[in-house]
Amino acid sequence: MAEKFDKYVLKNQMVLLGEPMEAVESVAFGFMLPAGAAHLPEGCCGASSVIADWIFRGAGDKDSRQLSDALDGLGLLRGHSVGSSHMAIGAALEAGNLTEALDLHADIILRPSLKEDQFELARQLAIDDVLSLDDDPRHKVMLKLREQFYPSPLGRSALGEILELKALTVATSERIMRDNFNLSQTIFTVAGKYDFDAVCRQMEGLFEGEQQQGGQSIRLTPSAGQYTHIENDGAQVHIGLMTETVKPTDEDYYNARVAVSVLSGGMSARLFTEVREKRGLCYAIGARYHGLKEAAGIMCYAGTTPDKAQETFDCVVEEFNRLGDGISEEEIARAKVGLKSSLILQSESSSSRSGAIGSDHYILGRVRGLDEIKDRIDQTTVDSVLAFLRNNKFKDFTIVTIGPKRVTVK
Amino acid sequence: MEFKNEKLSNGLVLIGEVNKSAKSAAVGFFVKTGSRDEVAAINGVSHYLEHMLFKGTEKLSALEVNEAFDRTGAQFNAFTSEENTVFYAAILPEYLVEVTQLWADLMRPSLRDEDFNIEKNVIKEEIAMYQDLPSFDVMDRCRTLHFHGHPCGNSVLGSAESIDGLTAEQMRDYFAKRYAPNNMVLACAGNFGWDQIRSLAADSCSKWPRQVVERKLGHFDGSKKKDRIEKANLAREHICLMSEGVSAQDPSRFAASLLGTIVGDDVGSRFFWELVDKALAEAASMSYGAMDGTGTFYSYIRCSNENVRKVLGIVRRVFDDIEKNGVTEDELAAAKNKILSTLVIKNELPMGRLIDLGFNWTYLEQYRTIEDDVAAIKGVTVGDVNTLIEQLSPGDFTQFSIGPALSS
Repeated sequence: MAEKFDKYVLKNQMVLLGEPMEAVESVAFGFMLPAGAAHLPEGCCGASSVIADWIFRGAGDKDSRQLSDALDGLGLLRGHSVGSSHMAIGAALEAGNLTEALDLHADIILRPSLKEDQFELARQLAIDDVLSLDDDPRHKVMLKLREQFYPSPLGRSALGEILELKALTVATSERIMRDNFNLSQTIFTVAGKYDFDAVCRQMEGLFEGEQQQGGQSIRLTPSAGQYTHIENDGAQVHIGLMTETVKPTDEDYYNARVAVSVLSGGMSARLFTEVREKRGLCYAIGARYHGLKEAAGIMCYAGTTPDKAQETFDCVVEEFNRLGDGISEEEIARAKVGLKSSLILQSESSSSRSGAIGSDHYILGRVRGLDEIKDRIDQTTVDSVLAFLRNNKFKDFTIVTIGPKRVTVK
Repeated sequence: MEFKNEKLSNGLVLIGEVNKSAKSAAVGFFVKTGSRDEVAAINGVSHYLEHMLFKGTEKLSALEVNEAFDRTGAQFNAFTSEENTVFYAAILPEYLVEVTQLWADLMRPSLRDEDFNIEKNVIKEEIAMYQDLPSFDVMDRCRTLHFHGHPCGNSVLGSAESIDGLTAEQMRDYFAKRYAPNNMVLACAGNFGWDQIRSLAADSCSKWPRQVVERKLGHFDGSKKKDRIEKANLAREHICLMSEGVSAQDPSRFAASLLGTIVGDDVGSRFFWELVDKALAEAASMSYGAMDGTGTFYSYIRCSNENVRKVLGIVRRVFDDIEKNGVTEDELAAAKNKILSTLVIKNELPMGRLIDLGFNWTYLEQYRTIEDDVAAIKGVTVGDVNTLIEQLSPGDFTQFSIGPALSS
């Protein structure tokens, strides 16, 4: 698979990355602004979600309605999300409309109207989203889990906290935007069908400027605790469990990914087989690798009715603990082919690639080619994965449950 | 793109769209069966049976099935709706034949008692999981209320009671009647060799016996009843509205889909500007659901308890306005752009293409290229959408809500 990545850095240090894809007529692009939940000042949890809504409520010479109509007129499939490190704003669309879409996004990022009445609406919606979380315990348990697991503020919920959202003001939000919409630390990505020279010229015209200072490092404080239970009179106990593992930059990263895949890669993996297939304890059960630049973990979810909660929990912990005792050649082979296959399947989607090259650049400082990732996965062996597990024993589990019953943690 | 099709003598239809420039391939068995084909005593059997197909054949145990799939790195799964059960896999081209063979083998499952008994627990856990998802629960209950006695109102999952009462024998009987070759389509999309799939199907599927398969069709315009239940642990009001729509076979289905987008797309729709933009509801969407011989429009709205009355008043005004004044050229143009983008981007992946390919054959016995669908969407006029509104009165809906105990 011949691969080519495009890269250009504006004078203000904003990085433009591209991955051309031959077989598609679409293009996807994204702006990764350093305004993720962990980069917010204390007491402003959720501000990024409010801002991500507010900036779309009118920009440049367009009011909210005109801006929305212009975006819809281009057939943009819009998406914005707030993660630990970044606020990501982007879209997928038919390739011919890219130029106009970028012009509109320059207005949204650089010249949002920021009307006060629109701020109140954006804030109210953010508050309502937090309240709605109580009606989605499966989602809530995973957000709480990250919050409890990661050293603060890395695991902060992007949705925010009610009290802090209520206290958030226009002035504070504007200050956050001044500090965090820092173009010198912004990564722009594009994947699919595009002309990189034309994109660079356009982006220079739209975003070039003086280099901006800032971007102080985050001060981390230890994570909150081991077990949190939230009482809820629902049908199931939703169990979230997370334990530390190596970061994406670590030499052992691919051993960790293969180990997690043995545990929960496909339907023949350990957790699905032991918890669901053999014992019928759960419908939803699975674990995955979750990596930030500063820390990483393996996160696991299981949902089960109250009477089975303890057995499910014990069974899951047992599977984590016995992983290092032995893994067969067959299991490793399946884990490896699963990881490689999902990599290639995702590589057909312009949106997936646009996200992946940005994340690689931020975490690793460079974009990995598919061949490199495949080679590194291929190099893992039963011995290398077991050695990794021996040297990185699952010690502490952070646990969150939501439901009518607690579990006992031994 | 090259379209291929063939029908085996027992009625099994094979279809494929070959795209040699794709990096992957996708394969699926589309079985024309779902909860609407069940009677009350076996409600939930279609979905339960979907799970049981993964439990193996005379020659393969459940674990061996999962291992065989995972050895190929397939992204595989299945889903069951009111009227379809679909088994699919997205896969690298070199494994397509192996995975298709596996699916073909699994279409003749052993349905062992011991597997049936263990899986019953999993099904009941799935039912419990959805009970904790009011956004799903409210749609399911509203569908039942809307179709009031019509089989399209049967729950896909069934209830804990109906699942408890179900026997393996009843399932085997249902299987024999519904998983007949003349009630299934084998579809492939992406980068694959048609001749290999053809000979595989001829070798593995030709002996499956043809059956007389029936489905009760018949359009239903909905009960228009209103109901609400309370759950003490809920924080928000979840509201589902359902009204009459056109069928999957109706040429005006494209206009229906555009109407859904105009009224209730996530952004830029009438619901969005009146409810979400103004922060009266945090979610408000409407979609068109095409079905065999009938159809629905369904809306989901989530808001605070205090805003319910106001929100429903606005919903009433939105429908009144659209019924009185129709839609505008501008909003139709925007809706077209959004639907066309979604269609084109989804179909760039063989897995996305497979679903459209399979359903077009299931409902229409027709091959439609992406260009056919693009042209059909582009061809819809304001007059078409307004005629549909007049014909269907989307404001005349069934309503179901789930929310916390009312404070007043």
